[in-house]
Amino acid sequence: MLALKNWDINLRSREKKTLRSFLLLYAFLTLLILAFVAFLYYGLERDLMLQHQRETLSNLTNEQIAKLKALHINFDKDQTYPRDERFNSAIYDSSLKQIFSTLKAKKVNLYEDIYLKNNHIYFIKELESYYLGARYIVIEVPEPSSWDKKVLRKLLGYGALIFTVLVVIGYFLLNLLLRPMKDTIALLDRFIKDTTHELNTPVNAILNNIEMIDEQSLDESLLKKIRRITIASKTISNLYDDLTYLVLSHQILSQDVEVDLKVLIEERLEYFSLLFESKKIELFTELAEGVVLTIDRKKMAKLIDNILSNAIKYNKIGGTIHIKLTQHEIEIKDSGRGIEKSKINQVFERYSRFDRSVGGFGIGLSIVASIAKEYNLQIKIDSILSQGTTVRISW
Amino acid sequence: MVKIALYCILLTSFIYAKTGVYEKNCIPCHEDMAVKIDKFFYRYLLKYSSEVEVKNAIKSYLKNPKAENSILVDGLINRFGVKKKTTLNDEQLQEALDTYWDQYQVFDKLK
Repeated sequence: MLALKNWDINLRSREKKTLRSFLLLYAFLTLLILAFVAFLYYGLERDLMLQHQRETLSNLTNEQIAKLKALHINFDKDQTYPRDERFNSAIYDSSLKQIFSTLKAKKVNLYEDIYLKNNHIYFIKELESYYLGARYIVIEVPEPSSWDKKVLRKLLGYGALIFTVLVVIGYFLLNLLLRPMKDTIALLDRFIKDTTHELNTPVNAILNNIEMIDEQSLDESLLKKIRRITIASKTISNLYDDLTYLVLSHQILSQDVEVDLKVLIEERLEYFSLLFESKKIELFTELAEGVVLTIDRKKMAKLIDNILSNAIKYNKIGGTIHIKLTQHEIEIKDSGRGIEKSKINQVFERYSRFDRSVGGFGIGLSIVASIAKEYNLQIKIDSILSQGTTVRISW
Repeated sequence: MVKIALYCILLTSFIYAKTGVYEKNCIPCHEDMAVKIDKFFYRYLLKYSSEVEVKNAIKSYLKNPKAENSILVDGLINRFGVKKKTTLNDEQLQEALDTYWDQYQVFDKLK
């Protein structure tokens, strides 16, 4: 399906923004939940490890208490605090004042029972008899090596797995969310494609036959009618071209040649001359000689046609159109109704229409944008409501 | 000359020391006892831990000595009995206790 193949091109920028926001939010929430679970799991593993250490630490503490007892009894003879290479320790009195410490940590939380801090396990025990006035004894040992590495490895492994699963689910969710939108675009594209096929032959038949009529042999009234038919047919033909371009643009290969823009613009003005006449639009041109671009002639003509046709379509009866060609710019200025400032950015989106009083599909400027993008042309639109719009194409 | 000065300093410090409440009111009796005064301190420390609590416990015992609130084991109480109530006022008592604590506390002594 065409729309599905090109959906990233076809999706409007606002929809793309919504998609991006959705993806970001989804990823953020997923990571947040995973981080929370990981945090809980890590806490559990840490507590489990501390529980395993508790018995050993309790035994070490008892040994230290026995030594403190001996020191307490013989304090008048020896005042050396008992040290052990397996652990560091400290004693605190009942007002939590430190009596003596060989700990690396400066501050210890005596209200805890056992805890982990800065890669050391702290085990706190309250003494039954306060040897040397010590009510609390703290034992400090290094944490078992690489216990957290094991946990982190596990967490990363499972985390990545769950995240992948959630991302896959997110992808399906996104597709589910996008399906109605994609279907609508596909439907519209298919409709245009079918309509286009049916339009081609009759329009060509009408135009060819009008060309074959000898205008000299017609009376004034019939000539007027024939001209109206010509305008109407050209409008349909133009629309046909647009639709073909839209539907088949990705299959059309560009044939870049050197195009003299003055010649091209004059040719297109000639093509639209009847339309100018019918709306009594006054045309002012200021076209520089010898401005040449290497570009696909049909595409450039399409680009100019679309801007001109908008300038005519949205112009008032008896309005003006100024066309100026310089070495680096084409400027087309009309005296039409103008576009609201806030909507100027949306005019290049496909099917975007602000004024339903005149006909159209809202595809003209979207085609202009895609051609401009292909050839790296800058388009600038300045518009003042009910005064007119100026379109500048520069390169 | 130096020697005389040294003696003077020693003598002064000796007289000064003897004038302390603790030295005048506590040491004389405890000196003659079988259980030395530091043993009492460590017993208090063993039971009351912090400076404030140790001092409070000794103070309350000295003000109102009874067998029930004594730090000594029953055997020693039976043998030596309970001391008489203190005649020192609160201020003196506090001074004596501060000297006693400073002399035997373990904070600076542990190494």
